[in-house]
Amino acid sequence: MWFDQILQGVLLGGYYALLACGLSFMFGVMRIVNLAHGSIAVLSAFVVLSIAEAFHISPFLALVVALPIMAAAGWLLQVTILERSLRSGSLTPLLSTFGLAVVLDNAMFQKFGANTHSLDIGDLAFASWNVTPDIAIGQLALLTFVVAVALLGGLQLFLSRTPLGRAIRATSEDPDTAELVGIDSRRAYAAAAAIAIATVAIAGTFLAMRATFDPYTGPTQLIFAFEAVVIGGTGSLWGTLIGGIALGVAQNIGSQISPQGFLIAGHAVFFVVLAARFFIAGRDPRTLIRALRRAPA
Amino acid sequence: MSDLRSRRTFVRGAGAVAGGALLAGGLPSLRLRADAAETIKVGFISPRSGPLAGFGEGDPYVLELVRKTLGKGLTVGGKTYAVEILDRDTQSDPARASTLAKDLINGSGIDVMLTTSTPETVNPVSDACEAAGVPCVGTIVPWEAWYFGRGAKPGQPSPYKWTYCFSFGVKQFFDQFVPEWHGIETNKKVAVLYPNDADGNAIRAHLIPDLQKAGYTVIDPGGYEDGTSDFSAQIARFKAEKCEIFNTFPLPPDFATFWRQATQQGYTKMVKIAQIAKTGLFPSGVESLGSLGDRLLSGFYWHKEFPYKSTLTGVTPHELADGYEHATGKQWQQQLGASMSLFDVGFAALKSSADPKKKADVAKALSTLKTQSMVGKVDFTSGPVPNVSPTILVSTQWIKAKPGSKFAYDNVIVNNVTDPKVPVNAKIVPYNS
Repeated sequence: MWFDQILQGVLLGGYYALLACGLSFMFGVMRIVNLAHGSIAVLSAFVVLSIAEAFHISPFLALVVALPIMAAAGWLLQVTILERSLRSGSLTPLLSTFGLAVVLDNAMFQKFGANTHSLDIGDLAFASWNVTPDIAIGQLALLTFVVAVALLGGLQLFLSRTPLGRAIRATSEDPDTAELVGIDSRRAYAAAAAIAIATVAIAGTFLAMRATFDPYTGPTQLIFAFEAVVIGGTGSLWGTLIGGIALGVAQNIGSQISPQGFLIAGHAVFFVVLAARFFIAGRDPRTLIRALRRAPA
Repeated sequence: MSDLRSRRTFVRGAGAVAGGALLAGGLPSLRLRADAAETIKVGFISPRSGPLAGFGEGDPYVLELVRKTLGKGLTVGGKTYAVEILDRDTQSDPARASTLAKDLINGSGIDVMLTTSTPETVNPVSDACEAAGVPCVGTIVPWEAWYFGRGAKPGQPSPYKWTYCFSFGVKQFFDQFVPEWHGIETNKKVAVLYPNDADGNAIRAHLIPDLQKAGYTVIDPGGYEDGTSDFSAQIARFKAEKCEIFNTFPLPPDFATFWRQATQQGYTKMVKIAQIAKTGLFPSGVESLGSLGDRLLSGFYWHKEFPYKSTLTGVTPHELADGYEHATGKQWQQQLGASMSLFDVGFAALKSSADPKKKADVAKALSTLKTQSMVGKVDFTSGPVPNVSPTILVSTQWIKAKPGSKFAYDNVIVNNVTDPKVPVNAKIVPYNS
């Protein structure tokens, strides 16, 4: 019983980590808390749905088509909104992405209506492998987990091993100094935004395959992603995976104790981790912020 | 902030009252001359965007029909009035619903308020009307949540003078469930998945004891929080208890998560009756479940097979459903009939009032109103509690549409125990067979 709960919790954690990936990357590299994260995920789901329905192709294939579109949207987002708002302090991006979320939600409502949708992946939505008669592993859940690990690992490798990754990291540390050694920091940031939004598209697609979505699903998805990022240490990609798993396992154990414990247990872990970091950081709010902003490992 | 706002509303309200008194007292001749084209203003508040937008999706179509009918005005006691309907969208926000209601009352000077769809809409609007002394009719809110949820106490006289509600309630769910479940042989073990929210707790408190009295074993793991994204613990419990009947009152996205996971983990294989409520109300929600939506059971407060036409517009259920499908390309849905019935009832009250421009007269007409509407009989004189008239719920089943249909699922009526006049057009089929 407990083993099953923990196993399902780990798989759930993979889903949270996938949701949180883009958020974590954007915060780690660009120091932006993207409050439109959930809405962009839902937007990607609508894009994938539209492509899949227009060309009668599988949602996975449609996602491949949607990725460059969303990456371009990320580039555009950086150039038109984020870059401008970053210039006027760290609070402005928070406000502008919040506004963007409201605009996106209502624009999607105008375009797609109120109806609930889901990406049609046939039996994969509910197929499973029976490990024992009592324990079943959902095929989609496992696929989500594998994709999350691959994506987070891939991004980590990209940041540490490729020239563009190094440029992004350098810009993230200090844009002015990076420019001195010949890095175009605007380009580096825009590339980072494009990558981040592309990962959000993957997350949105899996969200839409796992459950249903409508134009207002976004904000509710943001909270779990945000918690996974904070538990894992903001800005650390592997940390996000661990944070997601910690959140998922805590929730499932909480719900085994009492059904009301599901969300509470998750929030409790989030709070304890936050409080512990605060304590370690020596109770100084400024060092707390620095502790939260641990650079990508 | 709230202080400021309430003061502003008060000042505005006081201004309107003073202005009204001036007009009425100081300019009698003007008022007489205006009589010929006197206008009845009707407020209509429903959720048309936001998470509850599914409810309001058909409202523009219903409003169009109503406005067409009322284009030549409304005749009450030999006098013809022009009618203006002021429709507003709550954006699914209870605070906004309240603000909109106050604006319509104080700013637009409406004569009667109509409101529909969920406690989050109907309750705040009703409260605003009660406070301001404006007659108000609400529907599609479980009447227990409307009557008791706003502060009335069982056994005591009704605290409401201005507000009325006709809708199904928890009791109607019970009346519908048990005879329906008798149609299929089961082990009488009911798995219930009720959230820890207003609706879930009302259902838990009232429905579970009734089900137990009726001979069912109820397995209730306890209320979960809305937005839960993993239900492994509940599923394991239902599997261990081998519950063949499943009942839930969730938010729609939570149900999609649960039902897919329950299928993954092998619970739905043992389910014979899957009775869902609050979700699966509209075709798009069932379609989004893919093949798992087939054979789900739902309670409908209106169906296109209902035998009642709209008393206001004269539209029949089939005309309404087909007209909507034709105009929008979307499948018909049950809120169409419910929104239409709200206009039926509201205008029946205006017609039977001594003077539709006098709020006290309209409220008095409501208190003794007996009328037909698109959802059936509405009678405010004989409800289980004052100010309330319960309406019916019929048991329906979602089944895969026949090949060639434009839509993925059809909805058929499988039991009519709450109103024998509604035709049954299919036999209930077990979820697994």
